[in-house]
Amino acid sequence: MTDQEIPYRQAEANVVLRQVGKPLERTDAEGKATGRTRYAGDYTMPGMLHAKVLRSDIASGRLKHLDASKARALPGVVCVLTAQDLPDRLAATDMPGQTGQKRASTDRQILVREIIRHHGEPLALIAAETPAIADKAYDLIEYEIEPMPGVYDTEAALDPGAPIVTEPDNIVGEHKIRKGDTEKGFAEADHIIENTFHTQFIEHAFLEPEVGLAWVDENGVVNIRMSTQVIEHFRFIADALGVPHNKVRILGAMVGGGFGGKEDITVELYLALLAQATRRPVRLAYTREDSFVGHGKRHPFSVSHKTGVTKDGKITALEVKISADSGAYVFLSPYVLLYCAVAAPGPYRIDNVKIDSAAIATNNMYTSAFRGFGAAQACVAYEAQMDEIAKTLGIDRFELRRRNFMRTGDKTATGQTVESAIWADECMTQALEALGEKTAASGPIKIGRGVATYQQSYGRITWFHDTSEAWVGIEVDGTVIVRSGVTDIGAGQASALGQIAAELLGVGLDDVVIYNSDSAVTPLAGTTTATRALYMTGRAVHTASSNLRERLVAFAAQELDARPDEVDLANGQAFVPDDPSKSMSLKDLAARGASEGLERSELAMFRAPFTDPIDQETGQGPVFPDFTYGCHAVEVAVDTETGEVTVLKSVGAHDIGQAINPQAVEGQIEGGALMGQGYALSEELIYQEGKLVSPSFSEYLIPTSMDMPEIKCIILESRSGLGPFGAKGIGEPSLTPVAPAIANAVADAIGTRVFDLPITPEKIVRALRE
Amino acid sequence: MLREFELDMPGNLQETLARLPGGTLLAGGTNLLVDLRARREDAERLIWLGNIDGFRDIKIEDGRVIIGGGTTIGDLLRNPAMAEAAPSLVAAARVFGGQMVRNQATVAGNVCSGSPAADTVPPLLSLDAEVHLTCSTGSRTVPLNDFYTGFKTNQRKHDELVTGLSWAAPGPHTANLFYKLARRKGDAITVVGVAVTVTRDGDRCTEARIALGAVGPTVFRAKDAEAMLTGEPLADDLIDSAARKAMEESSPIDDLRASADYRRHCIHVLTRRLLKQAWEDAA
Repeated sequence: MTDQEIPYRQAEANVVLRQVGKPLERTDAEGKATGRTRYAGDYTMPGMLHAKVLRSDIASGRLKHLDASKARALPGVVCVLTAQDLPDRLAATDMPGQTGQKRASTDRQILVREIIRHHGEPLALIAAETPAIADKAYDLIEYEIEPMPGVYDTEAALDPGAPIVTEPDNIVGEHKIRKGDTEKGFAEADHIIENTFHTQFIEHAFLEPEVGLAWVDENGVVNIRMSTQVIEHFRFIADALGVPHNKVRILGAMVGGGFGGKEDITVELYLALLAQATRRPVRLAYTREDSFVGHGKRHPFSVSHKTGVTKDGKITALEVKISADSGAYVFLSPYVLLYCAVAAPGPYRIDNVKIDSAAIATNNMYTSAFRGFGAAQACVAYEAQMDEIAKTLGIDRFELRRRNFMRTGDKTATGQTVESAIWADECMTQALEALGEKTAASGPIKIGRGVATYQQSYGRITWFHDTSEAWVGIEVDGTVIVRSGVTDIGAGQASALGQIAAELLGVGLDDVVIYNSDSAVTPLAGTTTATRALYMTGRAVHTASSNLRERLVAFAAQELDARPDEVDLANGQAFVPDDPSKSMSLKDLAARGASEGLERSELAMFRAPFTDPIDQETGQGPVFPDFTYGCHAVEVAVDTETGEVTVLKSVGAHDIGQAINPQAVEGQIEGGALMGQGYALSEELIYQEGKLVSPSFSEYLIPTSMDMPEIKCIILESRSGLGPFGAKGIGEPSLTPVAPAIANAVADAIGTRVFDLPITPEKIVRALRE
Repeated sequence: MLREFELDMPGNLQETLARLPGGTLLAGGTNLLVDLRARREDAERLIWLGNIDGFRDIKIEDGRVIIGGGTTIGDLLRNPAMAEAAPSLVAAARVFGGQMVRNQATVAGNVCSGSPAADTVPPLLSLDAEVHLTCSTGSRTVPLNDFYTGFKTNQRKHDELVTGLSWAAPGPHTANLFYKLARRKGDAITVVGVAVTVTRDGDRCTEARIALGAVGPTVFRAKDAEAMLTGEPLADDLIDSAARKAMEESSPIDDLRASADYRRHCIHVLTRRLLKQAWEDAA
C-alpha cells in the first residue's frame, strides 16, 4: 500500500503542526517535580478508618475455621468481614467493557469460603480506627488451614488425576491459528529448526503500591478515590455490592505506575465492602509486601517454535505450541494467550502457519495483564528463533530478517490486512546504525550484539467494540477545558489530550486544563491499557476539538467578514492569514459567541473498528485495530568466567506514526528499555509450592541506575496510524523487543544460548560449560 | 508496619554504656529497622548512638587508621585519605547498598550484623583490622579475625559497644583489592565477595591475605591458600592453585541468589583474578 492509499496519512499530510509533535512541558510535570501532585494515598477524610487484608500464606488448602471474635472485640476495631458476612458475593475477573459483554463463569470468591487456591488469597478484611489497631486485629484473627495437594506447573496440571484448580480440566483458554498448509511448507524447507523458550513470572513493581479511600455519600453512592488504570470497574464493584451501577463512583488520581498491574480490580472491592458495612470513610494502602502477593503477575510461557526455512533463508512454514500458566483464577489469561498466539509469527511473512495455545490453571499466583500482554512473551521466542535460524543457515541475522519482513500492505497470520505502514526494516536499520562502532573484547570479556523487531497491537481486541468519549469546551475568556475519564498512569495520557485540543483550537498547552478520571462526572473513556489511551481518547478529543473548531471558525468568519475556509485559529487568535486586518482574539471570539448563544462545547465518541470474533478453528479474521512496528538493538559485555552481563548500549527505534509529545515518547522508550532489561537479566518471582519466596526488592531485582546504559531513542513517524494525527501506540511496544534483543546479544557474545529467562550469570556459566 | 519500641537517646558515651544492658543498638538502622518491620527482630528498647562525641571521626596516626564506631559508609567515600589507607574498603563502600543506605549505614554496624554477605568485612579482614570494644568498666581489642563465633554471632558482649576499628595502612609494595559479585550493580546483596592483600619484596610474596564473603557461615580468611603464597614468587600456576585452595576452604550454600556450585566456581575465578592483579600492582 502506498502512502496515497492510506486515507489518514493523505488527510493529514500537509498539516502544519504548532503544538503536536513538540516536546512541550507536560501538564503534570511541575506538580510531580515539586511534590505537589496528590496521589490517591495523599487523600484523607475526617473519621477515616484504616483497612487491612488478611491473606493465606499457603497456596492450596482448606480453611477449616476462622474466628474473628477476638479481633472484633479489640477496642478500636470497627469491622471485620469474612466470607460468612458476604453470602453469595462474587467478583468479576473479566475485562471491563462499555458494551455489557462479559464472559460467563470467570468470577471468583471475594474472600475464602473454604478452598484456598493461591498464596495471598484473602481471608478477611479489617477496618479499625488506626493502622496500629488494624495490625493488632490482624494478629487476633484465629484460623486453621489444612494444606491440600496443589499443582504448580502447567504440565503436571494436565496430568490425569492432577488436582483440579479450575473446572473441568484446568484449561482456561485455548486458541488456534491455521493459515496455508504447514505440511507442504515443511516439505519445501531445506532446514527445520526447533527450539523451546521459557519466560518467568515477573512483577509490575510500580513505584506506588495499590491504595484508595472510599466513602458513602449523602446520596448513598459509594465513592472510591484510588490508584487504578480502570475506573470503569465501578460496574463490577456495584455488581459485587449488589447495588445499581449508578451507586458506585470511582475517582482516579495521578497513578504512580500501572504496567497492567492496576488493570484488574485491586483495593476498590475491599474498600467498597468496608465502606458499605461501616458507613464511614475507609482507607486501604497496600504495603510493598501486600502488593507483591496482592495482584496478578506476568504469565510464564513456554513457546516452542518449529520453523521450516529454505537455504536462502525464506521461511516456508511455522508451527508454534504455546502454554501459559494462568495461576489459580482466570482473570485475563484467555486474552493474554490470544495476544501471544496472534503475535507468535512476529513481523514476518509466513504463508503456512499452525499455532496451538493453551492457558492452564495451577495453584500459583494468578496471572493477568502486564505491559506486552502475551505479545511480549511471543517476541522473546520468535526473535530468538530468528537468530537460531540464521546461525544454522550461516546467514547474517539482520539479512535473514530482511528476507522475511512483512512490508506495508501485507496481511498478518490471521489474514488481517495491516492498514498502516510496516516499517520494521527501517526501524532495524536505524537502530543498528545507532549502535555505532563495536566495543573491543578483552580477555574473558566478550562483546555481543542483538536486535529484536516486533509487531505489537495497539487498541483492544476489535470484537470488544471499544469506544472512548471526551468533551472539549472553550470558556468565555478563550481558555480551554478537556474532560475525559481517561486515567493518567504516568505516561502523560492527560497532557497529550491537552496538546491535541491546543493544536486544533489555536491555543497553547498552558491555556488548557484537563479534568480526567471520574467515572460519574467525566465522559467515559475506557481503560488505560492495551496501548489504547492516546489512540482512542486522543481521537475522541480530536473529533470534539475539530467539531468545536469548525463552529468557532464559522462564527469568526461572520465576525471578520470572511469565508470560513479563509480563517485559521492559532496563538490565541482567529485570523485570516492573507489579510492582517482581519483578526480577533479567541477571548473576544468566545465572549461574543457566548452572548450570541454559540455552543462552546462538544462531546464526541470515538469507536474503534468493530468486528466479529475470529473463527474458532482457524483463527482467521481481524483481531486488532492496528499494529506498531519497531526494533530494539543492544550491545552487551559478558564476562565468560563469572557470567556477569553489562549492557553497554541500548537503542529503541520505533515507528509511532506521529509523536504527540516526543519527550513523553522517549520516556516510554527509556522505561521500556529498563523494564525489558530486568525481564531479560534479573527479574524473577520465585514460587515454591505456590508460595512467593521473593516478596521484596532485595530479592526481586529491578535494574538500578548503576545497571543502565544511556538509552538512545529513535522516533520514526510514518503518520499512518489510527490515532490522532496518524499516531500509533508506544506504551507496550517500547518494552516488547528489549528482552529478546538482550538475549540475542548475550548469545552472540558467548556463542551459545540460554533458553530460559532471566539470563542469570549462573545460567550463562552453565551454558558455557555444556 | 513498624512495631512499637522504646527509643533511648543517651547524650554521651558514658550514658550510652550505662544503658547498654537489655537494649539493642541503633546505628544507621539499615538492617535493624528493616528487621523490626519484617518481625525478624523483636527489640523492645533501641539505643540511638547519634549523640556520642567524635563517634564518626577518621584518624590516621603513625600509619594506623582508626575509624570511630559511628563512621558511615559514606564517610569512608568522602575521606580522601582512605583511597590509600584502605583501598579494598573504599572499593567495597562504592558498591555498598544504594546511596541512601551508604549515607546511613555504619561500618561497625555492618561488622556487628555478622551477615556473611556484609561487604565491609572481607576488606577489613584483608587489612587485618582490629575491633575496639568498650563497656562501662573498661575496654578491649579483638582481632577481627577472631571476632566471629558463628553465623551472625560474635564476641561482643551485651554491655559492650564497638567504639572503633583500626588497621595498619598498607605499606609500599602492597596491593589491597576487593571485588563484589552480585546479581546487579547497585543495591545488591553479594553473591561472592573477595578481598586480597599481597605484599611483595622483589619477586617474592612476603605476605598474602585472602578474605571471602558470602561463601560460609561467616566471612573468613582462606589461610591454607594464603600459606601457599607466602615466600613464593606468584606465578600463574601457583595463583591458580591457591585460588582453587581458597575455593576448597569455602562452604557456600544454595539460596535464591545463586547455587553453592556457582559460588565455588566464582571464588576460584575471582581469587585468581585478584591475586594476579594484586601481584602486578604490588611490583
